[in-house]
Amino acid sequence: MTKLPPLKTKRLWRALILMLALGLVYGVHQAFATRQPGPPHQADATHIHPSFAILDAEGQNVLESGAPLSTMQTCGQCHDTEYIVSHSFHADLGLSDYKPGPGLNASPGAFGQWNTLVYRYLSQPQDQLLDLGTPEWILTYGLRHVGGGPATTGRNGQSLLDLPPDPSNPDTAFLAPDGTIQAWDWNQSGVIEMNCFLCHVATPNNTARKATIQEQNFAWANTATLLGSGIIEEVDGQLQWNPQAFDENGLLVQPPLQNPTNENCGLCHGVVDMSQDVLVLHDFSINNPQTATTGQVISPQKISESGINISDKDALTHSWDVHAERQLQCTDCHFSLNNPTYSLRENAPEHLLFDPRRLDIGDYLQRPNHNFARGESAQHNIAAELKGSMRRCESCHAAEPGHADWLPYLDRHMAVLSCESCHIPQMYAPAIEQYDWTVLTADGKPHIHYRGIEGHSETDDTVTQLVTGYSPILLKRQNVDGETPLAPYNIITTWYWVYDDANGNKRPVREIDLKAVWLDGDGYAADILAVFDANGDRDLNHDELIINTEEKRSLIASRLSALGLNNPRIEGQLQPYSINHDVTRGDWATKDCTTCHTADSRVTQALEIAPYIPIGATAEFAESNVQYKGRFYTDENGAMYFQPDPLEEGIYIFGSSKVNPVDWFGMLAFIGTLIGVTVHATIRYLSIQKRDKQQHTIRRVYMYTAYERLWHWLQVLVIVFLLFTGLIIHRPTAFPMFNYSTTVTTHNILAAVMIINAALSLFYHLAIGEITQYIPRPRGFIDQAIVQAKYYLRGIFRGDPHPFEKTPKRKFNPLQQITYFGLLNVLLPLQVITGAMVWGAQKWPEVANSLGGLPLLAPIHSLIAWLLGSFIVAHVYLTTTGPTILSSIEGMITGWEELEVSEINGNLHGEET
Amino acid sequence: MKRRLLRLMGLIVLLAIVTVPIAFLWPKNSSSSPDPRNYMPQHPTHVEHEHIVEGDFQTPQDVTRACLECHPDDAREVMQTTHWTWQSKPVEVPWRDEPVTIGKFNQINNFCISTAGNESKCMTCHIGYAWDEYPPNEYDFSVEEDVDCLVCHAAANTYAKGAYGNPAEGVDLLAAAKSVGIPTRDNCGSCHFNGGGGNGVKHGDLDQSLLHPGEQLDVHMGKYDFLCTDCHRTVDHQIKGRIVADNYHIDPAEQVQCQDCHISVPHDDERINGHLDSVACQTCHIPSVARKNPTKTYWDWSKAGEDLGDDHYTYLKIKGEFTYERNVQPSYIWFNGNNEYRYLLGDKIDAPDQPVYINKPAGNIDDPAAKIFPFKIMDTIQPYDTEYMTLLAPITAGEGGYWHDFDWDKAFRLAEERLGIPYSGNYGWIETYMYWPQTHMVEPAGDALQCNDCHGPDGGRMDWQALGYPGDPAEWGGRFENQ
Repeated sequence: MTKLPPLKTKRLWRALILMLALGLVYGVHQAFATRQPGPPHQADATHIHPSFAILDAEGQNVLESGAPLSTMQTCGQCHDTEYIVSHSFHADLGLSDYKPGPGLNASPGAFGQWNTLVYRYLSQPQDQLLDLGTPEWILTYGLRHVGGGPATTGRNGQSLLDLPPDPSNPDTAFLAPDGTIQAWDWNQSGVIEMNCFLCHVATPNNTARKATIQEQNFAWANTATLLGSGIIEEVDGQLQWNPQAFDENGLLVQPPLQNPTNENCGLCHGVVDMSQDVLVLHDFSINNPQTATTGQVISPQKISESGINISDKDALTHSWDVHAERQLQCTDCHFSLNNPTYSLRENAPEHLLFDPRRLDIGDYLQRPNHNFARGESAQHNIAAELKGSMRRCESCHAAEPGHADWLPYLDRHMAVLSCESCHIPQMYAPAIEQYDWTVLTADGKPHIHYRGIEGHSETDDTVTQLVTGYSPILLKRQNVDGETPLAPYNIITTWYWVYDDANGNKRPVREIDLKAVWLDGDGYAADILAVFDANGDRDLNHDELIINTEEKRSLIASRLSALGLNNPRIEGQLQPYSINHDVTRGDWATKDCTTCHTADSRVTQALEIAPYIPIGATAEFAESNVQYKGRFYTDENGAMYFQPDPLEEGIYIFGSSKVNPVDWFGMLAFIGTLIGVTVHATIRYLSIQKRDKQQHTIRRVYMYTAYERLWHWLQVLVIVFLLFTGLIIHRPTAFPMFNYSTTVTTHNILAAVMIINAALSLFYHLAIGEITQYIPRPRGFIDQAIVQAKYYLRGIFRGDPHPFEKTPKRKFNPLQQITYFGLLNVLLPLQVITGAMVWGAQKWPEVANSLGGLPLLAPIHSLIAWLLGSFIVAHVYLTTTGPTILSSIEGMITGWEELEVSEINGNLHGEET
Repeated sequence: MKRRLLRLMGLIVLLAIVTVPIAFLWPKNSSSSPDPRNYMPQHPTHVEHEHIVEGDFQTPQDVTRACLECHPDDAREVMQTTHWTWQSKPVEVPWRDEPVTIGKFNQINNFCISTAGNESKCMTCHIGYAWDEYPPNEYDFSVEEDVDCLVCHAAANTYAKGAYGNPAEGVDLLAAAKSVGIPTRDNCGSCHFNGGGGNGVKHGDLDQSLLHPGEQLDVHMGKYDFLCTDCHRTVDHQIKGRIVADNYHIDPAEQVQCQDCHISVPHDDERINGHLDSVACQTCHIPSVARKNPTKTYWDWSKAGEDLGDDHYTYLKIKGEFTYERNVQPSYIWFNGNNEYRYLLGDKIDAPDQPVYINKPAGNIDDPAAKIFPFKIMDTIQPYDTEYMTLLAPITAGEGGYWHDFDWDKAFRLAEERLGIPYSGNYGWIETYMYWPQTHMVEPAGDALQCNDCHGPDGGRMDWQALGYPGDPAEWGGRFENQ
């Protein structure tokens, strides 16, 4: 044994501390990125539109003809209206992609896609039964259609006005309330051109527009939009142009035109309230689809100041939508794609940060593209090629300034989570949970359930209960750019009857047939009441209006069959609805680590998706860009839940994700070791009591140098704390007293200390050659190991001497050697690598992913932690096998260890003191 | 022993190797702001005077004399303050050749107009006694024993003032003197909550609702139960913080600032902090005033004298017609802490059809020291001399006063006689405006204004063009941005 002189030891210490410090400074470093510019802003609505003549479809001034206006002619005097209509998915709504077929959906838009909430089905040309023809499509879906597209053009591309009335062509057929199919004369009703005024007038008369449509007076619908502006007036039930609004040349004096505002968009999309008046919500029907399907309300007002009965409202002193509060318009994000102010010019060469070549403002005004930038919602698939054309949060917002000072693993969080996941933590308005069309209320509506309210709503469009709001479910979204962040959704379940028509195509049972089955005059049919009316009040309440027995199901099925519907059966659809508005900021967003990093994680939070399931029915997720890995379960009341499983999606969430086999195996190893040493210790103790004390010669040997003791105890301290902090990170619910982010930081720093300590120790052992002690000598190793094992299993209880002499030059017996060999060559490096990859998952995600990503790395890291824990137990126990219980530990503290003089080998190597 | 020391050293080194890196690499939280309460003044320990003060007190001056036995300098301190003098030191103003003093004592407002000449009523709120012993305008401001210690220091339920600044009838001076302590909101409020002649009349942001305010009414006095002197820090009876209405220039060092306690960058939102150069804290944090008790916003003196039936909130024969409003949304103008103009008795008015500004806060968009600040504007129709073109200050209270005889002409002649305010014999009515800065009734942070209250197509509460902006600065840019 070469003993280092004291001076050198001191130097070594100093060098060690210096290196540790330097290594750590280098090892952990946070960089701040520069701030990006804020969002662009649109100028005020313009009031500078020049005056113009209002023309009818023939191009004549309406003052002369008295005819309804034609937007194509009127606005077409300056703007290229043909270009506008042909570049507008709002007008098209799927017409240009219309492809009839056996499937339910003939297009990705409202014209052709079956909407289970509206329920009425646009019949395809070959369908056995007519539900909606194009005329009646306008009367339903068309109330929220801007005109043009299917309201002017037939499925074959011909103008509707050119189609002869023909009851066999769904473009010209109409299902009368009595069930007969009638021919529709488009020349009598007129068609609805794309309605420029609905979006470009500050206060369009949408009520009059819709009423005119419902009166089947299509030709006047767009004109009616101007009622109340003074340009046109209703005289004796007739719309008459007001000459006072025009100058002597027949030009409109003050065109009330402007850029579309949030209110314009809200006319069809959902509740928008930009006013300073107290916000109240009246209409929860799908007339306000965005609000009804998700609870999104676009308003700058504080929720606390609304007139809605929201629980704990006083505390909600933030706006409904921070972007509305901060003066953004819908069109700031959903801009016209060729608007020179906003256009992205993504195809510009890479060396250009800004492409100044853009459309001249005059050219833009002549041909403004009316396809608007759009996001990647789950529910709207029209113009799918434009998905992702909108600026996303990160296009305007820099993540670092608001997060870097408190959110660790920023990049990792940003890669896994959409901004909305944390910034839309809660919805504060009711949203539809379930539409059950397998049953009908007495007034012909489905059985509806809202979420986010207390109790059950009375009808579909009024909610008077206390609004509790709800937490959206977080699901993984497949973005067009390949990223797959978690994002918030509502899931709406719809149940409905389908049948096989004469062509063998599945079609939804028509509303008219459902009514025939359920209703008889003003009330329910007698057969229905006989089976459904449990309390005998000749009406069906919420609890009765459920198909929950086979008897009820077969009654309805047989009544449907009696109408000639083949193979009637119940189907269910689960449709996710994206939630991207109602963003909130700062403290209102999710900020607490343990919201997600806990057993009851926000990310795995289940959503009740149906309060009940009709008997025997199953529901499937509608096709969308959302991935649904998770499980369904029902509670004791029969409500159905969906719980996402992020681990299955490849997202390992520390503190939440569990790989049970790993934990079980690890715990088993740990507890097994504990039991093993306990049993061994007990037998040892009993055997010592039985036998006479054998006197061994004791000698003291300088076994461990100061540095060896230092690195050992440092490693002890660090590993114990690493195991402890690791356990907290793994199961934070069991240690609620520890701050999660603090624990993670501590764990990382300790790991760095551990690695540096291990590296320096390795260097030390290599440098002075002590490393050879750790390498088992091949010759006779197995025999010697068996001897050592026999000693632990038998000899030790008999008081036999240790089979191998422990000397400073040969400190380890063969079993120790093989254990340390495995520990130092396999477990520790693996633990360091997996740990570093977990830590580096945000810095070098590719590397981590190439090694299996967190779902593989993290469980391995946990498993090794368990094994290291087990090792420590065994290791500590085996230190007690010296001459006295504490002599080995004493040796590791002082350097001087007391050893028995072996009777087998004699004192060959030791240094007598 | 040495071995034990070595082991201890070893342990310390070990722990140091672990803890030093943790301490060194700990994430630094940049946005921790100091607790504003750290900056509040300490209240002096209360000394119970129950057994210190002995009677017997025949006159209020006896009480003051007793106070001065132990606090010999205090009356002299008080007599340096505007609470005593009711007027400023002489200042030069651009529209006068000679330096002038400004204050209640010698100038007018557009509520009850003038204190001078109306000492019997108005001096109820002066901290001096014995105004009845001097002719108008000849009060002796040098008599120490006339300082009223009790109005500020006696428990409010033991003391009240009556005519000519003397204690109200029936006040038990000994009981009041035994109850003295640090001034409470009741003490300050006994005058300041009742300015203009009644609860909440004058200020808008100060009324009796602040005696027992809720958190929503005033976060400082409601949630944290502040005393007035917690903000209006007082040294040697000099109470910090002055109202601009009766001054021309006020030294910023004499003003109370939110930043006295809220010293760091207050918001975690850069966009909001970007407002601080141009918007006063009060603008967003006092969305409305007179939230519980109404305040007077309009007063038409010309309608006085009719027997229309008196109603406290709409019409009084002695005062005329007026409007009280609750939940008053302030008006917003640029303000740098000073007045640009303060009407002084004798100032000529421009034209009878032009409103007269009793005070006009200074500042505009080009003044970097000015911020947009909330004001209550008092709108009054009051008398002026149609020949001399000056505002008139009638004698109202007492024999020969308007409230006594309902004769304006007589009231003006009496004022000419007592105060030397020239009166031609012809009077008319003119509209006047007075600006009252709003700085109390600060709401909890969550109730502060937010973007859409001022910005956006709906305009909100700012008239941007009147403030000097080309348009909404959210779109046109702020005044310090490159345009």
